[in-house]
Amino acid sequence: MIAVGAEPYETLVVERDGHVGWLVFDRPDRGNAMDATMLAELEQAWQDLDADPEVRVIVNTGNGPAFQTGLDVGQLAKDPEALREQSRRTKRAELKLTAWHNQVRKPVIAAVNGVCAGGGLHFVADADIVIMAEDATFLDPHVSVGQVTAYEAIALVRKSPAEAVFRMAFVGRHERMAARRAHQLGICSEVVAPDRLRPTAADLAERVARNSPAAMAATKRALWGALEAGLTDACRAGAQELVSMWGHPDQAEGPSAWAEKREPQWEPT
Amino acid sequence: MEHLKLERHGPVGWLINDRPEQLNAMNSAMRDEFAVAWRELDEDPDVRVIVHTGEGRAFQTGVDVSEIAGDGVGMERYRESVENWDLHFTAWQQGVRKPVITAVNGICAGGGFHWVAEADIVIAAADAQFFDPHVSIGQVVAIEAIGLMRKMPAEAVMRMALVGRHERMTAQRAYELGMVSEVIDPPDRLREAAQELAEKIARNSPAAMAATKRALWGSLELGLTDACRAGAQDLVSMWGHPDQTEGPAAFAERRAPDWQPLD
Repeated sequence: MIAVGAEPYETLVVERDGHVGWLVFDRPDRGNAMDATMLAELEQAWQDLDADPEVRVIVNTGNGPAFQTGLDVGQLAKDPEALREQSRRTKRAELKLTAWHNQVRKPVIAAVNGVCAGGGLHFVADADIVIMAEDATFLDPHVSVGQVTAYEAIALVRKSPAEAVFRMAFVGRHERMAARRAHQLGICSEVVAPDRLRPTAADLAERVARNSPAAMAATKRALWGALEAGLTDACRAGAQELVSMWGHPDQAEGPSAWAEKREPQWEPT
Repeated sequence: MEHLKLERHGPVGWLINDRPEQLNAMNSAMRDEFAVAWRELDEDPDVRVIVHTGEGRAFQTGVDVSEIAGDGVGMERYRESVENWDLHFTAWQQGVRKPVITAVNGICAGGGFHWVAEADIVIAAADAQFFDPHVSIGQVVAIEAIGLMRKMPAEAVMRMALVGRHERMTAQRAYELGMVSEVIDPPDRLREAAQELAEKIARNSPAAMAATKRALWGSLELGLTDACRAGAQDLVSMWGHPDQTEGPAAFAERRAPDWQPLD
């Protein structure tokens, strides 16, 4: 392992093994919650990893029993001033927590090693690939402490069945999603024994690293860029399509055939 | 109301489709009643969460085809409201602020998917079945399927849209695909399970849930980046709200939070 970046990190481990860069949350006694230091270091770490020419793919995981548990509410309660910059960025939608926020060009694999709660879901939502330890869980306790869920769930909804995301958002801390269910839903693509998580992530990253970096960067731009479109506009257009059939003979024939319990005689096109 | 039942059990409001003989198909009278029922439940200060289900062996089977076939007016009665995108029969269409759980108790067909696509949470009885017969009677599928495609794997939605009445999806498959988050077996436990789930949700901050609901459904209108920007406004809208101090305080004191009611 070779350290990545000019300055040492306090709350993260940022290093490289071959073409695989590692960004590891390292506040294990705090559930890897993000304090002001980690928030600043995350921005630097993504930039360092993206800039390192030897790094072709990045694995994001955590030390200790938790993956990520969101904003450090202990610090928020004791020293709100330390998180003022973060509040400003939240208001302006200028967060710099994740690879997506920091416009990282390289593939990012989240390897979820344990509980991932609330703001921790940013790192699942914004990763390209997600794998999980079989004892890892998801929950979103925001509304149980009077907070709103927005970014994390908004991104997750583009990538996974929305009902499951809405359920997590509204049930809050009163329920957890197991890794197996996340796998069924396609929120993650692989579930492994806890002690196999890092070797599996490394192996997957090495396979990804065999692909063209430029082609992957362009693919990443293309796919994330495609997550853009509007529901109401689509419904308006759909409504016109719907009405376009009205008055067509098949619309009389269909119900008649149904009422007479016979096969409909459709108009030829 | 003639075709809907409204009930309240603790903090949970219930909206029950009640035309079991017609498989809860929506005639024009029922359609009008939905508009009133959603508003009534949303405005009732004692209701924090809404459960929507049906009487009998069907949940909902869409527009009442007997009415369409029999009265000479047919779908024309709805032309203006559909062309103008002026619909009022689901919670989403009515701008309901509270979490809505759809509990699919049996057959859900055609227009019945509106209440699956447009609910926050969906659970189903183990014997529930899903199919979309629109194209089998010469109708177009649009709005329900468009909504569903935002919320689940699209192939499954297209298959239902195009195979029509000639195939049904099981509750188990709907669970695998994430169209529903829970399958209740035995099926007769459905209402009990829905009430339990709703009571868990009712323990969360009503104001935070209303803002979360705006953020998440609003995000389906926009591209990802714009959606996050809009979501940031919903997120910040709660800052300074009394629930934001009450939540952590209750947590620290190991007691149930005393939330503010919705305005």
